[in-house]
Amino acid sequence: MGEIRVVLQSLKMSIHTRMQYRVDSLVATLAVFIRESANIIAIYLALLKFDRINDWNVNEMLFLYSILFLTYAFVVSLFADLRQFSDTIREGRFDRLLVRPRSLLLQLILNNADLIASAGHGTLGLLLFVISAGRVGIHWDFVTVLYYIGAIIGGILIQGGMFIVFSSLCFYFVETGSIRDIFYWNMRKFAGYPISIYHKLIQGILIYVVPFAFVNYFPAQYLLRKEDMANYPAIYIYIAPFVGIIVYAAAYLFWRVSVRRYYSTGN
Amino acid sequence: MRAYVEFAVKKFQDKMAYRLDFFMGIVNTAITIVVYLCIYKALYGGATEVDGISYRMVATSFVITLGLSNAFHFNEMFLEHKIHDGSITNEFLKPVSFLFRMLAENIGEGVFKLVFHFLPALLFTLLHTKLCPPKSAPGLIAMFISVAFGYLILWLISFIIQTWSFWLFSVWGIMTIKNVFVNILAGTLLPLWFMPTALRKIISFTPFESIYFTPVRIYLGELNGSQILSGIAVQVLWIVTLGIIANLFWKRGIKKLVVQGG
Amino acid sequence: MENIIAVGDIKKYYRIAKRGKGMIASLKYLFNRSYEIKKAVDAVSFSIKRGEIVGFIGPNGAGKSTTIKILSGILYPDAGDVKIKGYIPYKQRKQYVKHIGVVFGQKTQLNWDLPLIESFELMKFIYRIPQEKYEKNLSLFSKLLEMEDFINQPVRQLSLGQRMRGDIVAALLHSPEIVFLDEPTIGLDVVAKEKIREFIRYINEKEQTTILFTTHDMQDIEKVCDRLIIIDKGKKIYDGSIDQIKNKYANSKTIEILLENDEKETQTFDISVTPMNTVMENLFAQKNIKDISICEPEIDGIIRDIYEGRLVLDDPAAEAD
Repeated sequence: MGEIRVVLQSLKMSIHTRMQYRVDSLVATLAVFIRESANIIAIYLALLKFDRINDWNVNEMLFLYSILFLTYAFVVSLFADLRQFSDTIREGRFDRLLVRPRSLLLQLILNNADLIASAGHGTLGLLLFVISAGRVGIHWDFVTVLYYIGAIIGGILIQGGMFIVFSSLCFYFVETGSIRDIFYWNMRKFAGYPISIYHKLIQGILIYVVPFAFVNYFPAQYLLRKEDMANYPAIYIYIAPFVGIIVYAAAYLFWRVSVRRYYSTGN
Repeated sequence: MRAYVEFAVKKFQDKMAYRLDFFMGIVNTAITIVVYLCIYKALYGGATEVDGISYRMVATSFVITLGLSNAFHFNEMFLEHKIHDGSITNEFLKPVSFLFRMLAENIGEGVFKLVFHFLPALLFTLLHTKLCPPKSAPGLIAMFISVAFGYLILWLISFIIQTWSFWLFSVWGIMTIKNVFVNILAGTLLPLWFMPTALRKIISFTPFESIYFTPVRIYLGELNGSQILSGIAVQVLWIVTLGIIANLFWKRGIKKLVVQGG
Repeated sequence: MENIIAVGDIKKYYRIAKRGKGMIASLKYLFNRSYEIKKAVDAVSFSIKRGEIVGFIGPNGAGKSTTIKILSGILYPDAGDVKIKGYIPYKQRKQYVKHIGVVFGQKTQLNWDLPLIESFELMKFIYRIPQEKYEKNLSLFSKLLEMEDFINQPVRQLSLGQRMRGDIVAALLHSPEIVFLDEPTIGLDVVAKEKIREFIRYINEKEQTTILFTTHDMQDIEKVCDRLIIIDKGKKIYDGSIDQIKNKYANSKTIEILLENDEKETQTFDISVTPMNTVMENLFAQKNIKDISICEPEIDGIIRDIYEGRLVLDDPAAEAD
């Protein structure tokens, strides 16, 4: 035990930090909200003209997107310190963690939690969910609610795992910003659309390499059952909530192996 | 002038030092192109034309806009950092104009991205997708002029907001909102042809249309001779207007800095 | 007493990419890089007994920080071995670091936006410090370092000296038996330095804490340390007491002369070669002297001479017993 108290203290410190700049925090939250809305607005405007994309209508699209925002709202605070991990290494803050008798990831979780981004993404995600959830024909019963919650947790673990993998790469390369840009940020943007519209190669990446498809597409398919699901093994919509556990575990192992490299090179 | 070219070249070289970033930049641009072409294709859903715009025109417009927006990318927190850490006063001691230096460095970075990220990605795209060729040689030249003006318009907008850091604690929030406006109203996310008519009308009264859309339309031959001239004239008008505003804020800001010592 | 720290022949080499100037070199750098080897630590050995305070000095880039990192378990040495309190630092990280405290003077571990106390609380949870011990240590340390006034102020508002005190406390709250201080007095004013020195001495005397610290300030060494290790270019060049090094160069005297015409002159003599008697006779014979003073060698000067190669130390193996 005691792990939880470390994490809670980290969270408490993040909250206190934000409370010092209340107005600033509010403005920043709003800015994040507006920035993230841009893609939504673009999709909305596009569907005003084109009506459907691969048979997905605007509400279904918003529902698909809402899962991305809701999961990311958690990820961005839980794993905030992993976003700029190369800075953490360069500024010597990683050395600091190494001389403390705790697991390294434990010390990073919720540290400098980006509550602003969480609030921005979370609000937008909730808003999109509220707008779309009642209009896409989902029958919300015990099973679907349970599935939905499982899928959200799975989605958080998948993205957390990706953050861990990208941070681990910092132990091998000096600059990893662009790898992360491509495989995380771009892919996340693409995951906002039904993956069936993409080139096979990109579908493959979204399912097997950076498995965003299991964050929102397959969970949404479980609930919406659109026709394009016929392109994929049906089992994917059932295993979606569990993929997170596997991805996170694999990422953790990779992290363990990679940290060893730091011992021999330093920064 | 020579000094400013040096600044641009220096920035260009700095960029080259990051090997991995360099290769990944190309891959990144290529993937973005492929993905958005997939999205537009899916939106078209097999139709050859929507509102008289063919899929090939949309693809061409997207690729050009992406290339330009890659190049039209600057460090927008530059002035804020300089003001907050006080190093801006040192800049005034140097015998080169701070503003032109900033512009030169930004251009250096932009040219880097255009040459090393965008061109390879464009060649890759041409392997699998047919894009529209330039309509005519004079049109191509007119487009290059229009691109340079478009760059200046966006740079001035960004610079105006940057100067607000003389008064504000942080311009990050406003900058973010500005970028949302640019992404939507300048047509980076959805070409302006497909905007609702009312919105399209409003956009035509803003500088946003002049940034990417005017060069794109000139390239595609959507504008004829006199329309090209008036398009470029509108760009010049915006440059002058924004230039005056930028100068106003900059002068006021400097004055405040001198009077109050930051 | 037993050796609590034993360092045997550790080596650490780095590979550094070379970057040329100009456009062509930049392009080449993109595709093909050449490297050079820097020997940061090159076969350094020493041992430290429980309760010793050892000053660890050397010019910039001598390998001090790399050595401290190896001892803290942050870096593997390329060769050689380290045994501290029975642990191999870089192999048994979590068990080992409970027993050590580390201060990196140049990099704070305190949260910039929050009062000191919040960072201390985090340490309490991270090191599993029992509440009672935490409160006892905190009140003792804040009294000794006079921190009561600013413990509730955000760290960003603190002076460098106040912050450093906070950093030292954060590293010592769990009562480590071994403490590594990497430049804990860098950039501080005289008063702050003195406070930190007193505190280090106090902890050492009261708790028998073993302390290794690096500094550029010879006053730190003279006032705090019993023993001095000097390294340069990755090699140990001196290991012994401070008195020893002073005595060794006690023969070197500097004479300051004020001439009749108010001009000043300084001359350095080795009295084992030219006895003071002869020195004086010569001086009085050659110059019109108004005033004269003879200076003992300062440790500062000696160290500077060593760094700059004006003084060559004997084989370090002969220095250590």
